[in-house]
Amino acid sequence: MKLGLKNISKSFEVIKALQNVSLEFHKGEVHAICGENGAGKSTLMNILTGNIQPDAGEILLNNQIVIIQNNQHARSLGINIVYQERSLTDGLSVAENIFPLPPTKSFGRINFVQLHRQTKALLRQLDIGEFSPETMVATLSPAQKTLVEIAKALATNPAILLLDEPTASFTDKETTILFSVIRTLKKRGVTVLYISHRMAEIKLIADKVSVLKDGKCQDTLSTNNCTTEDIIRLMVGRDLQQVDVATHSSEEVVLSVKNLCGKGFNDISFDLKKGEIFGLGGLVGAGRTELAMAIFGAIPANGGTILKNGQRIYNRHPKQGIANGIAYLPEERKTLGVFLQKSVAENIVSARLYGKGYNVKTNNQKAGEYSRTLNIRSSSVQQLMSKLSGGNQQKVVLAKWLNTQPDVLIVDEPTHGVDIGAKLEIYKILKQLTADGKSILLISSEMEELLLLSDRIAVMREGKIKGILHKKETSENEIIKLAAQ
Amino acid sequence: MIKDRVVTLSATILLLCIVMSFLFPSQFPTVDNFSQIMLNLSIDTIVAVGMMLLMISGVFDLSVGSIVAFSGGLAGYLMYYHDVNFLVAIVAALSGSLLIGFINGFLITKIGINPMIQTLAMMGVVRGLSLMLSGAGIQNFPYEYNYIGQVKILSLQSPIWYMFAIVLIFSYLFKNIAFFRRYYFIGSNEKAAHLSGIEVEKMKLWGFVIVGLLAGIAGILLSSRLGAALSTSGKGLELRVITAVILGGASLAGGQGKIVGAFLGAAFMGIVGNILILTRVSGYWQEIILGIILILAVGIDQLIQKKK
Repeated sequence: MKLGLKNISKSFEVIKALQNVSLEFHKGEVHAICGENGAGKSTLMNILTGNIQPDAGEILLNNQIVIIQNNQHARSLGINIVYQERSLTDGLSVAENIFPLPPTKSFGRINFVQLHRQTKALLRQLDIGEFSPETMVATLSPAQKTLVEIAKALATNPAILLLDEPTASFTDKETTILFSVIRTLKKRGVTVLYISHRMAEIKLIADKVSVLKDGKCQDTLSTNNCTTEDIIRLMVGRDLQQVDVATHSSEEVVLSVKNLCGKGFNDISFDLKKGEIFGLGGLVGAGRTELAMAIFGAIPANGGTILKNGQRIYNRHPKQGIANGIAYLPEERKTLGVFLQKSVAENIVSARLYGKGYNVKTNNQKAGEYSRTLNIRSSSVQQLMSKLSGGNQQKVVLAKWLNTQPDVLIVDEPTHGVDIGAKLEIYKILKQLTADGKSILLISSEMEELLLLSDRIAVMREGKIKGILHKKETSENEIIKLAAQ
Repeated sequence: MIKDRVVTLSATILLLCIVMSFLFPSQFPTVDNFSQIMLNLSIDTIVAVGMMLLMISGVFDLSVGSIVAFSGGLAGYLMYYHDVNFLVAIVAALSGSLLIGFINGFLITKIGINPMIQTLAMMGVVRGLSLMLSGAGIQNFPYEYNYIGQVKILSLQSPIWYMFAIVLIFSYLFKNIAFFRRYYFIGSNEKAAHLSGIEVEKMKLWGFVIVGLLAGIAGILLSSRLGAALSTSGKGLELRVITAVILGGASLAGGQGKIVGAFLGAAFMGIVGNILILTRVSGYWQEIILGIILILAVGIDQLIQKKK
């Protein structure tokens, strides 16, 4: 089966998630789709699975125009997806998870003999021998669960299978097993759309690779005739000259982290200087967020020391982190950063509820000042947070943390899910803050952002700092090499 | 939305009163009838204030009805069987209620027991305790004890004044004091609240303690007003109070509601109860109607949430 996309466009309010994307997927090919966060990968997936409808453009299945109405419709057309988040039920067996509608005998009794037989056949086809149909899903490793998910998707006999970052939490060995399953699928003529930003994997498993950037398809390359560098070059290279990147870093050390250990990171040491933007690069899951949260006090550290202006500090709760002049802007804005049903003003004061009194008037005044300086666009400071765009919400969260008067601001993926305009504004705000003498620890998965803003960049992999690079002497490739290998 | 609820509920209550005044001109709009309604809802409202606090922070407590019985029972037991001074008895009863709230809060926040399970179990435990304390009921309290709940000030019985005092104090606290304000943030987004430096667990623990204390106060007032401590006191109170609080603008999702809403919700239910008596609806039906009101209140809450 041949799947084609023709001039697909999709916008969410002001953000153009996809613009005129045309792609072709052929029978039995493994087609990788890569791009940075926010490049439009997930929007593309959602369109193919019928979760959202494109604003313009056509989807062609064997040269016939189809409109994919919903998930179920996509499945009936032969398109199935394995999501990053798992959909398995831990309390049931592998077989029951793979076939949510099992074969039955009279009175609706489950025919377990047949269920297990057909599951076994399916697992054998995929060359999966590590677990049996009767195995409880709760006892499986994350990688094995992904294999069950794939088997579940294949039980519907799809012609096209979408895999969304399947190896995000895999070890090398597990990846090898997954790849052999993908090769088996390929032999059976299944088209596999493989979303990943691990370059090495793409070269290894994919026949073709399409690169998305800012909602546009940059190019489709054949993996035999291109290098990793070619792919990376297509992924990045946005016009960001408007941002003043002059450094404000001094020699005075504000925060000194020594041999810090904790869940997800190990033996971390670095110095953060006054006015510096210190970047933390690495892949998702490298331990950067955990490290940031431990410095802030949101999760416990097991060992090591943190010195602030030469004095040892102990942050066991965010309250102490805030009192010690550290602020943390979290990665997941919706779940960790904002109070959606509260007003802009209430959000801005939410990290400073430690005076005795709570005065609506002064809060509103203060919120108004931040709205002006950070250019937060809302009808008033009384407006509900849920009514604001992603970029403006993020600026409110930034205001909330500036309101705690921090010396050290940790920002975790500060431009995640915001449009390009707000992104530039946030860059300018961060740079301005360093000019005012604040120090910033910047966590970002976007190479370009890291390179643009940071004075120095520490690259983390598997919970450890693999190298600290100076901006002037480093390149994107060097960072990616340290981060991924 | 919340503002709306205070306005709409007040309007509904006013409308009910006007209609009833026309239908029962000699029985409904009288000072006696109204002070009776207020007296009846005063105990519920005092507990509802605490329940509103919990529901703003996204949890609730089912053991409040049992605590009401326990508090009166403990005070009565100490005074009747051990000749304890009434003030000491009150302090002991309030400390006991507070301790129950603390145990609830501790097990929920530190051990991680689900609030519904914990308070449901505590509801049974404490009901048993109050049966042990007051058995078939204790009477003959010292005069001073009965005075607390029976004295009239400006021709209104004292529990009504206590109710207003508690509603006013907590309204003020929730508007002006950062400590109480934090409950809104916890209910709105617990994880974000944690990262904002709010000690979520400690705050919730305090919430259960405050509710225990308020239920204890309600228990003292009830037993002193009746001049008797009954082990059946406060049965079904949790249902009435949760209904009142939801009617008053709290959301099961947390983060919303005003203290005055707890009073209005209880007032609405008090007036409905009064109407049912005036129209001679049987006691069984009253229970049924109460349940239906709760379902309607939650249903409307859900529909509003969906619209958002």
